Amino acid sequence: MKKTVDVSIPLGPVHPIFKEPCRVKCETFGERVLSAEVELGYMKKGIERIMVGRPWQEVMFLAERVCGICSVIHNFVFIETMEKISDISVPPRAGYLRVLANELDRIQSHLIANFSYCYTIEHETLGMYLLNIRERAMDLLELLTGARVTCAYIVPGGVRFDPDGEDLEKIMTEIDKLETETRRYMHIFESGPLIGLRSRGIGVITSEQVKLIHAVGPTARASGVSEDMRSGHPVYKELGFSPVVRSEGDNFARVMIRFQEVLQSIEMIRHIVKTLPSGLIRGGGTVGRGHTTYSGEAPRGELKYRIKSDTHGRIQEISIQTPSIMNIEACARYMIPGVTSIADVTSTYISSDPCIACTER
Amino acid sequence: MNLSSVFAYIRNMARADWIKTFLFAKTAPLTTPGYFREYPYLTGKECTHCFQCMMVCPAPGAIEVVMTDKPGVWNPVIHIGHCIRCGLCVEICPELVIDSGRVHKKNATSGTYMQFQFHITVNPATCMGCGICSVACPVNKEIDPQLASKGTSTTDEVIMRVYKGINTVFHEEKCTGCKTCEEQCPNRSVMVARVLEPLQIPEGQ
Repeated sequence: MKKTVDVSIPLGPVHPIFKEPCRVKCETFGERVLSAEVELGYMKKGIERIMVGRPWQEVMFLAERVCGICSVIHNFVFIETMEKISDISVPPRAGYLRVLANELDRIQSHLIANFSYCYTIEHETLGMYLLNIRERAMDLLELLTGARVTCAYIVPGGVRFDPDGEDLEKIMTEIDKLETETRRYMHIFESGPLIGLRSRGIGVITSEQVKLIHAVGPTARASGVSEDMRSGHPVYKELGFSPVVRSEGDNFARVMIRFQEVLQSIEMIRHIVKTLPSGLIRGGGTVGRGHTTYSGEAPRGELKYRIKSDTHGRIQEISIQTPSIMNIEACARYMIPGVTSIADVTSTYISSDPCIACTER
Repeated sequence: MNLSSVFAYIRNMARADWIKTFLFAKTAPLTTPGYFREYPYLTGKECTHCFQCMMVCPAPGAIEVVMTDKPGVWNPVIHIGHCIRCGLCVEICPELVIDSGRVHKKNATSGTYMQFQFHITVNPATCMGCGICSVACPVNKEIDPQLASKGTSTTDEVIMRVYKGINTVFHEEKCTGCKTCEEQCPNRSVMVARVLEPLQIPEGQ
């Protein structure tokens, strides 16, 4: 039998460019990757089991701690699931403020994902620039909610704190600075010749393959699949949201689509601050019994919660489906095989923005 | 290497804000902003030891209301290593004993507050009528001292007691949600639900 595999190269679980532990096993011929496999299971927390039997005010904080980067969306989707179970309506002002917090969180998550990619292709300067402007989004999140990461901003029937005129003014001025800087770094990324050599045409996944393996989020939208859970959300509909789609499907497109979504989020935040309705921020209502499934759009794709609660709103069963698991599989199955060097394996893997903490919970 | 890239490089370097940052680099002093939701601290107001902060706390053992050296004075103690700075204890405290960041200020301006309800459920299939829960309950002991000393009670004023061979709840509204009964129950048939409702006073009231 002819030997086709030269050597099987493992990357990780501890690797300088991986934010979280995960092993990518590549079978190579020379440096060309023939097939890849991703091995998970290094940081299982069992957080869904801890949630069982607890009321919303405890599960809310556990849900935020599923993922350290996209914590607001976990709070958002969990609380909206509980609201759907117990028919709690949200005042319009609270709905807008929720979206404001969520979009700020999306900005910082996309910026750290792009930092991670730039760091992987050894463009550390651009990476550090992006981390620098991410601080602006984090500061705004802190101004709005009181904390940078685990904000605990969204509660059943509304939000916790109401920003006054001064806060909204500060958000507007800071978001303007954020936009000029993002446009500048986006231009650097777009026009950099060496960045193009490392990114364009590498790790290509077609829209048929995306549909086959159910990839979600920016990974799917970069291949021309217009799929965004925000399109069905009532507040986003009011804001006139339409997903950003690119057609290339390579590393470059996946990073560029995140830049474009940052700009889209900035535009949305501006729209929210200008048209913020006045009124109450909490409508009241106790959480009750029910069983339902609800999904929202996390920065990485579709996030789905299935919850069963008892008469007094305690969680009886919960299961969380996070976006990264599909994206990691898409990465191992379609993106990595065929890349021409081992250096492209890591950058392709990082371009799909895998979040292991979400995946293993 | 062509001329246009040289020009692009020079144009990038000759930006006013870049030169300003390069020549007069200044780092802002590291200060905690006033809106940061820090660990709760005592404001000096009198604590009525209603224990609501302990009941709402999502982190086990992060806040405790304890007796101080002075007679009759109770105060909450926050254990820094356990506290997750969620600020729920600050929001629920009716006497404004603790504060953190802008939580009080925001609550005062927008009239937001939180309200607790406690519900006790007894599973009749597993309750064997041992009465440990009703003897352990600290509120029961206050209402009926006989229950604390002898372990039997005949009054219906207590939260719950064993009636006709099964634990029966009489006054759910007196429950303070401490979950002592739930912890003491040998076969988990008593469950206390802490139902929290975030509310806001409508404008103009």
